[in-house]
Amino acid sequence: MERHGFSGAVRLIPDSRLRRGPASRKLKQGALSLAANSRSAFILALALAGPLAACAPTSNKGETVLTFSGSALGAEGTLVAKQLKRFMELNPGVRVELQRTPDDASQRHQLYVQWLNARVGNPSILQLDVVWTPEFAAAGWVLPLDRYGPPRAEFFPATITANTWAGKLYALPWFADVGLLYRRTDLVPNEPKTLEEMVTDAQAAMSRRGGPRYGIVWQGARYEGLITGFVEYLGAFGGRIIDDKGEVVVNRPEAVRALEFMRDELYKTNVAPLDVLTWHEEEARFAFQNGNAVFMRNWPYPVAAMSDTAQSKVAGKFAVSPMPASGAAPSGHSTAALGGAQLAINAYTDHPDAAYKLIAYLTAPEQMLERAQAVGQYPTRPALYNDARLRSAIAIPLENARRAIESATPRPVTPIYTELSEILQIELHRALVRQVEPREALNSAAARINALIERTGMRKLMSGAAKESAP
Amino acid sequence: MRKISRLGHEARIGWSLVAPALAVIALIAIFPLGWTFWESLHLDELRMPWLGKPFVGLANYIEIAKDPRFWAALGHTAFFTVVSISLELVIGLFLALAMNRVFRGRGFVRAAVLVPWAIPTVVAALLWRFIFESQGGIANALLVDAGILKQPMVWFIQTSTAWVPVILADVWKTTPFVALLLLAGLQNIDLTLYEAAAVDGANAWWQLRHITLPLLKPAILVTLIFRTLDGFRVFDLIYVLTGGGPGTSTEPVALYTFNALLQNLRFGYGSALSVVIFAITFGLALLYVRGLGVRLGGEES
Repeated sequence: MERHGFSGAVRLIPDSRLRRGPASRKLKQGALSLAANSRSAFILALALAGPLAACAPTSNKGETVLTFSGSALGAEGTLVAKQLKRFMELNPGVRVELQRTPDDASQRHQLYVQWLNARVGNPSILQLDVVWTPEFAAAGWVLPLDRYGPPRAEFFPATITANTWAGKLYALPWFADVGLLYRRTDLVPNEPKTLEEMVTDAQAAMSRRGGPRYGIVWQGARYEGLITGFVEYLGAFGGRIIDDKGEVVVNRPEAVRALEFMRDELYKTNVAPLDVLTWHEEEARFAFQNGNAVFMRNWPYPVAAMSDTAQSKVAGKFAVSPMPASGAAPSGHSTAALGGAQLAINAYTDHPDAAYKLIAYLTAPEQMLERAQAVGQYPTRPALYNDARLRSAIAIPLENARRAIESATPRPVTPIYTELSEILQIELHRALVRQVEPREALNSAAARINALIERTGMRKLMSGAAKESAP
Repeated sequence: MRKISRLGHEARIGWSLVAPALAVIALIAIFPLGWTFWESLHLDELRMPWLGKPFVGLANYIEIAKDPRFWAALGHTAFFTVVSISLELVIGLFLALAMNRVFRGRGFVRAAVLVPWAIPTVVAALLWRFIFESQGGIANALLVDAGILKQPMVWFIQTSTAWVPVILADVWKTTPFVALLLLAGLQNIDLTLYEAAAVDGANAWWQLRHITLPLLKPAILVTLIFRTLDGFRVFDLIYVLTGGGPGTSTEPVALYTFNALLQNLRFGYGSALSVVIFAITFGLALLYVRGLGVRLGGEES
């Protein structure tokens, strides 16, 4: 959910006292604009207010009070409020309060970690980014769901793998995000079958008279987005970051070839502009939306804006398909990075059973479908992709969306993912800006990731986890 | 005997009078510093509670010493500090000399010069990022028009060119502050010295070299201390402009520390880094005061 950094990050003060009565609404808005001024002051305020808010919900006799924290801005907020209200009607005796947390992923993560270190039981249900689950599970901050008999088989396998740690399932996937290949259909009518074909198509379209300046645009700045793109090229060449045995394999020949392919796009085949090395999702979207690129790697979120003729020059002239595999690598396969949100139970909550009930309700087909219709987020249940009602909710052909999610690969499922990712971001960026050669960069990344695994005592945990989660 | 006890009495009163101030200093400066040091002797990773919070002695400091990224960050910080402060001192001195002249609208000029200093660093950094960011940015357009560049370039993907906006932004923003400090120093110089020198036939260069600069030494020292400490703690400017990239090749120690402490939530290691930065800046301040042989009060004869 890296793109959340661009949402303008409106922040709310999670003080439940502010939420009572009409006069408090104005107060809250004042606090909002004040808080928005200072990111760190805001984090501090939240960190302080969290434990206070935790004591706030007062329960009547026999009433169970849950707190839910999740993306709650704009249309998404309205939707969440609606679904929570319905849940309360279905479950008399349970009251759910909405606890606001920042929409920016890393800020939310920081808050959660601070609260959980202080063993705070609220929010009772946590919204986790796809790469956080193992971290929270290993730390004992979220409860395993297995005793509730969650319907694992009803979700896309990759979304279950991403939420499994040491053989246990710790969260249910709420909605999915996948890396997609956007293509200008007026320039390249047919979906490229291989990465190599994509490059040739891009070159041909660029050399046309009046063709776009850029062949393919992606996210190459030094941040999490770079890893998601790399994971896709890596899969396309049959490589991985960490294998099933828990070995670091990011410096194997397939990985080197994947990184070389990305680098060649910049310096050899010249289809990607050097600018992408400073770009995030939005810069890539602007380039594509203004008609300056033939292909784009991005998440599903730009589809809506780019289909709008008022702001987009490519409305009706683009299509979306899964990222292709390399034609030169026999073990390569079409790969999409998996993103999205999961719901888990706070280990310190007093009401785990009620919390699971709410999670099960929110991840049920009806609610998921409603979510897709309201905010266009992809369901994590394959069965819904046969539902005609989803067709109008998702702007791209359902078949393409499902193929992309089926090809989705979780990023390494490990509690030390964040630091592992940081190492990789730096080394990949160094190779892409040509400070070092790809092989050298990946060797250095592998060495540093191994050192990290040793330092954190992960070696045993990871091989154990791999064995237990193997089918 | 009586005298001594009276002195002792006065001393006691003196101590009791400063006691509240000392208590405040202890509370807001020494206590947090001590706490940070204590924390730096522990393994404390918020994200990995399974590791516990054991006392590890100097292990964090050893890890710092062995970490090439730390040494590189230290190098970047020193480079940034030396280059930007040298430029700021030279340009600031020129500005101060000019503003020290008597001319119409001097008050207005003095106020106007301070505008960049008044802009919040993050805002200034965003402005400079905007100027240099895209291939169609203002910097590229100007340089291509002037024939200096053949084609637009991407400034932030090469170490050497990524430093340009960083140093420019810092010089642009901080030179006014330097100029103001130096101007204050200039105004303390007795004008009769110049008159006497002029009577003796000293030219302007001689006056600058033998009157202005020596008498400006206390002001220069204060400026250097301020700016060196600021330079060593540089964070927001680089955080916004390059994020420490490409790779980590413009990453200063403060950004590295922020990363360890607040991104990775490694409180023990991050505290050790904070202590190291504190030791370095403190050492530098001492060095200046001793090395330049000037008392801060400027009371030397």
